[in-house]
Amino acid sequence: MNLYRTPIALFGFVLPVFITAALAGAALIVKSRIEASFNGKLSHFQGYEQNRIQALAREAENGKKRDHYKTWETLLSKETASNVGSTLAVIEDKMPSKEFQVTTRDFPANRAGFASVSAQNSGQVHLAFRATFRTMQAAFLELETRMPHLQLQELRIDPSANSNSLNFDVYYTAWEP
Amino acid sequence: MVSYQHPSELNALQQYRQAAAILRGTSRAVNDNWYKPAIDLDFQLHIRDDGESVKSWTFHAPTSTWAPGPDFGTDGPTPENIPTIAADIVAAARKAGCNALGVIIHVADEFATTELKPELDNPGALAELRETIITDPQAILDDSSLSPTDHSWRLLPYPAAGSETIATIVTLTRRLEAIVSAFRDFGTSKNFPIRTLTLSEPVLGLITLAELRTEPLARPILAVLPYPRFTILAFFNEHGDLRLIRSLQHRGQRRPTNLRHAAATTAAALEFSAPEIHILPFGGAMDPQLKTDLSQVFENASIFVADWNNSPFAVPQFPGISPEIVAATRLKTEIDTPLATSHTFATLRTEGWATQDFLPLAPHLAEVFPSRAEMKLLHSSRYLKFALAILVFAIVTWSAFGVLDMIRKPEWTFEASEASTVAARLAELGKEKSRIEHWDNLLEDRSKAWASMEMLARLFPNNSGFLVRAFNHTATPDPAAGQARLGFVKVWTITGLAEESSMERLNTLNTREGISAVFAEVARITGNQAFRTDLPSRSITISIRTSENPGYRPKPPEEIVPGDESSFPYAFEISIKQRFEGDDPLAITVSAAP
Repeated sequence: MNLYRTPIALFGFVLPVFITAALAGAALIVKSRIEASFNGKLSHFQGYEQNRIQALAREAENGKKRDHYKTWETLLSKETASNVGSTLAVIEDKMPSKEFQVTTRDFPANRAGFASVSAQNSGQVHLAFRATFRTMQAAFLELETRMPHLQLQELRIDPSANSNSLNFDVYYTAWEP
Repeated sequence: MVSYQHPSELNALQQYRQAAAILRGTSRAVNDNWYKPAIDLDFQLHIRDDGESVKSWTFHAPTSTWAPGPDFGTDGPTPENIPTIAADIVAAARKAGCNALGVIIHVADEFATTELKPELDNPGALAELRETIITDPQAILDDSSLSPTDHSWRLLPYPAAGSETIATIVTLTRRLEAIVSAFRDFGTSKNFPIRTLTLSEPVLGLITLAELRTEPLARPILAVLPYPRFTILAFFNEHGDLRLIRSLQHRGQRRPTNLRHAAATTAAALEFSAPEIHILPFGGAMDPQLKTDLSQVFENASIFVADWNNSPFAVPQFPGISPEIVAATRLKTEIDTPLATSHTFATLRTEGWATQDFLPLAPHLAEVFPSRAEMKLLHSSRYLKFALAILVFAIVTWSAFGVLDMIRKPEWTFEASEASTVAARLAELGKEKSRIEHWDNLLEDRSKAWASMEMLARLFPNNSGFLVRAFNHTATPDPAAGQARLGFVKVWTITGLAEESSMERLNTLNTREGISAVFAEVARITGNQAFRTDLPSRSITISIRTSENPGYRPKPPEEIVPGDESSFPYAFEISIKQRFEGDDPLAITVSAAP
């Protein structure tokens, strides 16, 4: 008797449990693999979204300064000596000749002041003026506004011996692209 | 009817399929009556064949109701008429609310005994011999001339102390086997449990004595059971235990011709003197000469003839029902007579010796069907498989929905190339931002001449009692290795002359608060952030040195000419140093433009 016990145990219990485990395991493995793939895509997508939002923000941020930067680029693209010359010419035209005279204009080849510590290309500008105080201040304002890449290194003001004017001796570092 | 094969002829998978087919096609898993003894079923058909007639009765156990059974006619039961008869009985059983039928065939037309092999006469082996007599009768029969194909044997124990043998063997022919099989086959074909029991009626009849005799035991007992074709003599010792049972064939007479001699010699052999004699006339009308014969042999013995009508075995509605048939339905009834407590009657009733099945389903046929435990196991496996199927369905569905949920999201269709495009765009914007920040830093208003001149004007306003003689300003970086941004130092050196009244102003300036206020005013007026002193990354110091003007010439006020140095009594030199640390917003970026 009990000749059926083994086949019933085998096909009625063991095999169904095994098949169930196999099917459930297969389903879970497939889902796990798809989930892993999805997580990879999700990670890329989240990175993409993060980059996209950052790009939008950066685009907006850069956009605000882009016009200024283009202006700077245009300004910097000009050769320093000629730029200084043309700008001083414009200033001279605006100022009373008795109150403003350019006495020296040269461009030393050494790297001094701010240029000595920066890897950025630069040039040296040495200017001297004979001018009244307020006229010279206005001239400096005009010059430094038109040429914001001029960084003042040294300014000396002395009374002029032969007139009521003052002697101005000034050194700039001019940043270059 | 579906034909099933013996499992030994099938492989494991085929065995399982056959078991599953039996589970589906039969009620064996849910109807336990397929596996109960016929005598335990609620609806029973009792058939009694004593050689002269075949009578039958139905018994409904829950109500203890008897009813006449089918009429088998002059031919008696045959394999051909069983299906028709069984159909009627099954219908009656169903009508009575029963889902099984027990067919108990009382064989009262034959009785013979044979002996065990002497070497097996071991009381401890009785249980094993009981099994062997069914599976391998030739192994234990002393007389092996009878064929197992035609005969069936069962043990009848002799529990009495001092018995010469442990048991005798009751023999029946297999002439009713086809009838019994026909009943079983009909039940199988109709998926209705029909359990059969073919028993030797004299053996069953013996147990009626236990209820009939209520007096205390004192003497040996001789039970005489007259049947139409034979008479049984059963000898019990004074403790009520069976010593010997033998049959006397009538050989065409109404009673055995050798009754007196056989009874007397057997009693003498057993050393029974004046036994108590009980005649149990199961065969209907008893031959009146029987009692006379016995009284001649046992002159001093008490002879009792059973009065069935006043016994527990009487069925008033049907007086013709044989008492031993009723006895078959009373096996579970508690009896407390002295004789019932004897070992013989206790074992006959409780251990099933009196109701042994002489024609059970052959083992090789019984094994075709799973056992009760196997059917239960198989049935429970269906629930397990159903539960597992639900589990698999749930897991697969859960997984599928999870996958669908993922697939439907925009992230699933996202191409990595889009990420690289945006990443490249972001990198480009980053570079642009770096360039903008680089030039934004370099072009900061950190050192402007016009703003320094404004500071000078704020330090010494017109007509404030000061004469500035020289102004010197330098802005120099503060080198530090390894820094991305460098601080710087701005120094203003101013020399000049001061009036007496202006010394208070110098004293005010010669404090951190005083010079910081001037710088803050310059920052506010010019908008030049380099003059702010409220940042933690900046520091400012001032030192003023004053001395008498050696060229001073006191003059009346009306003689003083503006710019006349001799009119100022004091000379001064102011040194202002402003330090910008590397973390200051105006610190210089060291690297070149990206």
